[in-house]
Amino acid sequence: MLGRCISAEWMKLRHSHLWTILVVLPVISVLIGCANYYMNQGVLTKEWYSLWSQVGLFYGEFFLPILIAICCAYIWRLEHLNKNWNMILAAPVPAAGIFLAKWIVVGVLLILVQAFFVLLYFIGGKTLGLNAGLPQELPGWLLRGWIAGLTISSVQLALSMRIRSFAVPVGMGLCAIFIGLGMYVARLGLFFPHSLLTMGMGVLSQTGLSTEENPVFWLMNILYIGVINTGAIWRMRKHDRVA
Amino acid sequence: MGLVGLELYKLRRKRLFLMVILFLAVEIGWAFSATSISISRNPGSAGWEALIAMMSSMNGLFLPILTAVCVSRICDMEHKGNTWKLLLTLSVRRGALYAAKYVTATLVVSLACLIQAVAIAGFGFMKGFEQPVPVLLLLRFLLGLVITNMGVIALQQWASMAAKNQAFALALGMVGGFIGVAADLFPQGIRRIFIWSYYTGLSPVTQSYASAHIQFVVRDMGSLLPVMVALTAVGMVVYLAGSVYVSRQET
Repeated sequence: MLGRCISAEWMKLRHSHLWTILVVLPVISVLIGCANYYMNQGVLTKEWYSLWSQVGLFYGEFFLPILIAICCAYIWRLEHLNKNWNMILAAPVPAAGIFLAKWIVVGVLLILVQAFFVLLYFIGGKTLGLNAGLPQELPGWLLRGWIAGLTISSVQLALSMRIRSFAVPVGMGLCAIFIGLGMYVARLGLFFPHSLLTMGMGVLSQTGLSTEENPVFWLMNILYIGVINTGAIWRMRKHDRVA
Repeated sequence: MGLVGLELYKLRRKRLFLMVILFLAVEIGWAFSATSISISRNPGSAGWEALIAMMSSMNGLFLPILTAVCVSRICDMEHKGNTWKLLLTLSVRRGALYAAKYVTATLVVSLACLIQAVAIAGFGFMKGFEQPVPVLLLLRFLLGLVITNMGVIALQQWASMAAKNQAFALALGMVGGFIGVAADLFPQGIRRIFIWSYYTGLSPVTQSYASAHIQFVVRDMGSLLPVMVALTAVGMVVYLAGSVYVSRQET
C-alpha cells in the first residue's frame, strides 16, 4: 500500500519543475562558497575542510532547510488545491500511508540534492586547484545531514499539512533556522531540528561530533521523527479537513 | 482605493499581520541581542548609528523573505480559490487588480518597517543612549527601506502572479535574502545590479573598517538621493512590466 502511495506522490511531482529549485539553490551555495574561499585563501588554509566551511555554511545553514520547507509546502499544496483533500482521504489507503509516502519522497529528493551538492563541492574544489584527498568525514557529514534533513522534513510536512498557505510554513522554517542558530550558540544544538543539521553536517565546526554526542544526535533525530510523524498521522486520522 | 480596501478585507482571518509580527519579533530580537552583546563588550559603541546599521544588515536577509511571503499570500489566495475569472467578470481591469494587490503588499510591508523604526527608538530609550532619538536618521532609514521594498514587491508580485506554483516566488525571495545579506561582500559593480543589496545600500549608516575598530559613518543624504531616484525608476519599470505581462496572460 505504501509503495502505491509513494508511486502516486512521485507521479504528482511530474511537470512541477520542482527540480529547478533543487538544482539552483545548491549551485548558488557552492558558487558563493567557492568565491568566498577563492578571495580568502590567505586565511582559509585547510584546503577541502576550509572549502567545506564555506560552501557548507551557505548550504547547510541557510539553503537546505529552506529547500526542504519549499519541497514540503509544494507536496502538500497539491492536496490543499481543488478540493483534493476529499479525494485523498476517500482513497482506500491509510492516513499513515499518505503522510509517510510524502515524507519518503522528500527523503529521496534530499538524497538527490545531497549527491548533487557533493558533486558540485568536488568540482568546485578541483576547479580551485585542491589536490589533497577528500576529507574522511565527508560521508558522515552527508549522512548526518540527510538524517537531520529528514527530521526537518517531518516538522515542515506537519506544518504544511496543518497550514493551507504555501508561504507561511516556509517563513516559519526560516525563523526556525535562527532559533536553531541560537540553540547552537547556547550549546543546546542537539535538542532542536535545525541545529541538529548544523551539527550533523559540520557546518560551523568541522571537528565532528564527540563519542558522547553521536548517539544523542541519532537518538534525538529518531525521537523527533517518531513523535512528529505519529502526531501528524494522528491528526490526519482524527481531525476533520476543510477541502 | 475601494479595491485596496477589498484586498485588505480579504486578508481578514488570514493571520497575515500576526505572521508579520512574529517574523519581525525574530529579526528584531536577533538584532537587539547582537547589539546588546556588542555594547556589553565595548560600552563606547553604544549609539543609534550602530543599532541602525545592525538592523539594516538584518533587513537584507529578513525583508526579502518577509516580502516574498506577504506578496505570495496576497496573490496566492486568488490562484488557490480559482477566483481570477470571478474577479475579472466584475468589470475590474486586470491592471487595477494588479495595482490594488501591489498597494496592499506595500502597506503591509511598510507597516513592518514602521514597527522596526519604533522598536529601534524603544530599544535605544531602554538602553539609555545618551543622544536623543535621531528622528531624521530614522526617517531616512524608513525611506530607504520603503523604496527598496517597493522594487522588491514589484518583482515578487510579478513572480507570484505569473506562476501559480509559489515555490518559484519563494525561492526567488530566498535567493534575494541571501544576496541581501551577502551584498556587502560583493564588488561595487556587481552589488549595484541586485535590487536586494539596497537594504544596506540605502541605509543612512554604513560600517567602515578603515581602522582596527568598526566605525559607523552617517551617509550624506545628497549621495543617496540619486540612488533612491534610480531605484524608484527601476521599481516602476519592473511594476509596469509585471502588470503588462500578467494582464496579457490567460487566467
